[in-house]
Amino acid sequence: MSLFEPTSADFEPLPRQEKTEQITRPSLSYWQDAWVRLKKNTRAIISLGIIILLALFTLIGPLLWSVNPALQNLNQVSQAPSWAKSAVIIAPYQDWDGIRLEGYTSPNQIASAVPAPTGFAMADTPTTQRVRLIWDQTPGADGYNVYRNNRAPRDFNDLGLPLGSTYGNELSYEDRLSLEPRAYYYSLVPTDGYDEYEVYSQLILTPVLAITPDEAVERGLVTDPSEVNIGDDITIEFHPFGTDYLGRDMLARLMEGARVSLFIGIVAPFLFVLVGIIYGGFAGYFGGQLDGLLMRFAEFVVALPFLLFMILFKIAFGIGPGESGIMPMLLALILLSWPSTARLVRGQVLQIREEGYIEAARLLGAKDHYLILRHIIPNTMGVILVTLTFAVPSAIFTEAFLSFIGMGVAPPTPSWGSMCNEGVKTMLSHPHELIFPAVFISITVLAFNLLGDGLTEALDSKMRSRD
Amino acid sequence: MDTILSVKDLEVEFSTYGGTVKAVRGVSFDVTRGETLAIVGESGCGKSVTVQSLMGLIPMPPGRITNGTATLNGKSILNLPAAEANKFRGVEIGMIFQDPMSSLNPTMTIGDQIAETLKVHRGKSDREAFSMAVELLERTHIPEASKRAKQYPFEFSGGMLQRAMIAQSLACNPAILIADEPTTALDVTIQAQILELMLELQRTENMSIILITHDLAVVARMADRVAVMYAGQVIESGTVDDIFYRSSHPYTLGLKEAMPSNTHDRDKSLTPILGSPPDLFKPPTGCGYCARCPYAMSVCAEHLPPATRISESHEAKCWLHHATAPRIKELHQLDDQDAG
Amino acid sequence: MLAYTLKRLIAGVITVWFIATATFIAMHQVPGDPLMNDKAVSAEIRANLEAKYGLDKPVTEQYFIFLGNMLTGDFGISFTQQNRKVNDIIRDHFPVSATLGLLAIFFAATGGVLWGALTAVYRNRLPDIIIMFLVILGISVPSFVFAALGQLFLVNLNSLAGQSIIPVAGWGTFSHMLMPSMVLGLGTMALLTRLMRSSMLEIVNEDYIKTARAKGLSPTRIFFRHQLRNAILPVITVLGPQIAAITTGGFVVELVFAIPGLGRYFVQAVQQLDYTVIMGTTVFYGAFLVLMVIIVDILYGFIDPRVRLS
Repeated sequence: MSLFEPTSADFEPLPRQEKTEQITRPSLSYWQDAWVRLKKNTRAIISLGIIILLALFTLIGPLLWSVNPALQNLNQVSQAPSWAKSAVIIAPYQDWDGIRLEGYTSPNQIASAVPAPTGFAMADTPTTQRVRLIWDQTPGADGYNVYRNNRAPRDFNDLGLPLGSTYGNELSYEDRLSLEPRAYYYSLVPTDGYDEYEVYSQLILTPVLAITPDEAVERGLVTDPSEVNIGDDITIEFHPFGTDYLGRDMLARLMEGARVSLFIGIVAPFLFVLVGIIYGGFAGYFGGQLDGLLMRFAEFVVALPFLLFMILFKIAFGIGPGESGIMPMLLALILLSWPSTARLVRGQVLQIREEGYIEAARLLGAKDHYLILRHIIPNTMGVILVTLTFAVPSAIFTEAFLSFIGMGVAPPTPSWGSMCNEGVKTMLSHPHELIFPAVFISITVLAFNLLGDGLTEALDSKMRSRD
Repeated sequence: MDTILSVKDLEVEFSTYGGTVKAVRGVSFDVTRGETLAIVGESGCGKSVTVQSLMGLIPMPPGRITNGTATLNGKSILNLPAAEANKFRGVEIGMIFQDPMSSLNPTMTIGDQIAETLKVHRGKSDREAFSMAVELLERTHIPEASKRAKQYPFEFSGGMLQRAMIAQSLACNPAILIADEPTTALDVTIQAQILELMLELQRTENMSIILITHDLAVVARMADRVAVMYAGQVIESGTVDDIFYRSSHPYTLGLKEAMPSNTHDRDKSLTPILGSPPDLFKPPTGCGYCARCPYAMSVCAEHLPPATRISESHEAKCWLHHATAPRIKELHQLDDQDAG
Repeated sequence: MLAYTLKRLIAGVITVWFIATATFIAMHQVPGDPLMNDKAVSAEIRANLEAKYGLDKPVTEQYFIFLGNMLTGDFGISFTQQNRKVNDIIRDHFPVSATLGLLAIFFAATGGVLWGALTAVYRNRLPDIIIMFLVILGISVPSFVFAALGQLFLVNLNSLAGQSIIPVAGWGTFSHMLMPSMVLGLGTMALLTRLMRSSMLEIVNEDYIKTARAKGLSPTRIFFRHQLRNAILPVITVLGPQIAAITTGGFVVELVFAIPGLGRYFVQAVQQLDYTVIMGTTVFYGAFLVLMVIIVDILYGFIDPRVRLS
């Protein structure tokens, strides 16, 4: 630059530019701008997607998954989640005599040790109806114990579930104890009639899922036993989310429960926010003594211990026989939750009322209803939307909480909270009954919370000027 | 004259979502003992960033000092780690800010906040530091200082708070006081008192002051020397008389035109500077003032003007001072007088 | 400060009166017969019982008797457990709930401040991201799930150790209290962490932090003396309402961990429609919560000079 030496041509005056300022950014309305910024927030958009999926799950899910959520099946209590599977049609159960040795006599002396049994095998194809086991006689033994384990035994003390014992002349065993189509580790231990010898043989097998024609009718797969033949493959009903303690399909119940939980979770906030807007708007717009009185009352309602009064109001409104208890809960939620919105809206209205542009509009001759519709409502909508978004998870929580302690919706109506309540009792043995409804509650609450965060940021005018 | 602080070619930029803002683009100035240097310019010209980067107060990231040196009594003070910087912050350079209401910790008594500096830098005991804090408050003419020292910021008025801020910054007898728009947030009557106090303390403590302001009236009253900043650069510097009576940059002229004055002709209306400063996301290749300058020439848009020494104390960056440039009455009157 | 305290106390008494009235009205709306558990008894005994509970008098008179009893601190006799005074029930079971609740608040507050400060220091770095992820979980997972998981954890821990290190349920020793109070405080801790974080980040940008740096204070000193202290203030203001949330949230934890607290008793009383116990515990809880909020507010005044002195 220091090398640059201007010539006289460089000192020609520049023409004055008339337009000194240019608006480079396109002009966006309040909501367009908020939407643009919300779209940039990945977490909020994913949450919005989850909420839409949940809505589809609740509304369209029952059409696609038309299992009756109330149908109890005590044959399939607390089943773990499983995918679609086919079963083989087999003949109804017939007695099996097994193998008995003719003219067997017990050893007259108890042997100090015997070899491990040999020939431990299945008598025929194992099915979930029954597993038939046979083995060869073990010299010196006067009886056998049969064990079953779900995993490979570590050692002699880890053979699993003791199924039964046989006498020395019985060389077979039939297992009919709640069989599932999965790998089992069978162990055979010879005994002296009372005590076991510390040797065993092992057999790994997987029973075939099988049902009889009568069971197929019972399960509603066919209408008449004659429609199926022995040996046919048939697709049986399955439970992708398992079944509950009464054998009801969890997926269908989760969908039914979603209706209850989301209904309360979304309708209650809408209603109490509406009540709050009217109450708070009224107090804020008219102000003065009326405002003081109304707000004092709202403060009292805020001071009521929330959950205690939820329970009190719920029992006060009562549940008739056959009612689900959703309406009393809705009413109680509205009665106790409106003051926070009312305070917020009042504050907003009081603040906006003092703004310069309201004064300006008034000077230009704007009437009250024009001011309310054109200025006050649009300017409070952002805050109200955020409140609404955050009110949904707290309403869902309240419903879940009350249903969990048995004060919510009445059985048999499922809600996610009452499903958790039922699931927690079998938590140790069948965790899926607690996990699924709990996950649904958590994901819903999470999605609404993150969406609320995103909306707060998108609508915050302070943030607006930053980028 | 002995130079205490010397700043050379300071460049500071900030990374933001919209790109990199070059807030300070090669600023140089010296401060000598006992003098007041005023840095003047409109908001966003980089005057606050300049002094805050000297004090290590700009947040890094997004801020970044990309070039330049600053030496305080011969020691470099740029880009120091906190432990090193704290050897001169509050000790050799004190600083006060624009809004005294928010510049003091709301949950600590005024006395404690002043005493804190003494405890940290001078190793004083609690009691000793507190009684020194009371003395400092007395020196800044706060009535009932011993009672006031036990009060919290919210119990003080704005003017009183700025006095307390000054007392705090003077705790360790600094050689330089940086005052970043010290009177902008105050009432006009209070402004005068605070400025008076600063002048008084400057005399008694033999202290230098760097005064950041956009108010030319304050400059006229306080400054010995003035640096006029525009778009991240010092475009004119000189003694206060140089700047006011021998303005050599069209921007300085514009500022003067826009300032009300009781010596002015009453019928003459104020002339605002049209337009707004350039976007420092994309600093102009030529003179930053080109788009608003009434005397703009084709060279101005393309090339940065070099610094021209107008007198011993006076410098300006404008192509009009080039030998081949046309003569402008307002800018060259004195040259012409001298010549004639 | 004294006048402020007095004013708050008077407002508190009025609030408790409102709570008592609301309780009375709600309970008189409950469908069914308060003496339905005594259906088998003869008309004569029934008349005696009605006289004993004052049910033969008109509603307004019952209301004033109820208010009078509340004033003297007499909550009457339980409907289902004859001869057991409601006061005795509260005296037996409330200390358990209060211990649980206060311990939970302690966990929540210390944890919230600690984690919140930590996330602010490590803003947008790994510790912040991990903690904030856990916070989101803490806010989104219902307390009963935490309670169940906590219990599951203890079961596994004990079976792994082959002995009962920490009891899975029940009440008595400190080890009984540990898991329930942590579970109970978790949600609040998550909330407070979030609040503390945003409060810390807001204060970093305050002018007085810049002043403190210009004064040449060390970063540690600025963090503890100026940033932390001011950031805690908004956390304390929400502590009052959070105590209310935690004490009533205790119901679930008391149920899951089989803790003999007042919450579990209240749920039981509601299921049995034990009128006097329901009314007594509700009013008692309400009064307790109002008192807690007042105490927190006054405490706040001691920490924030702006409140104390105005």
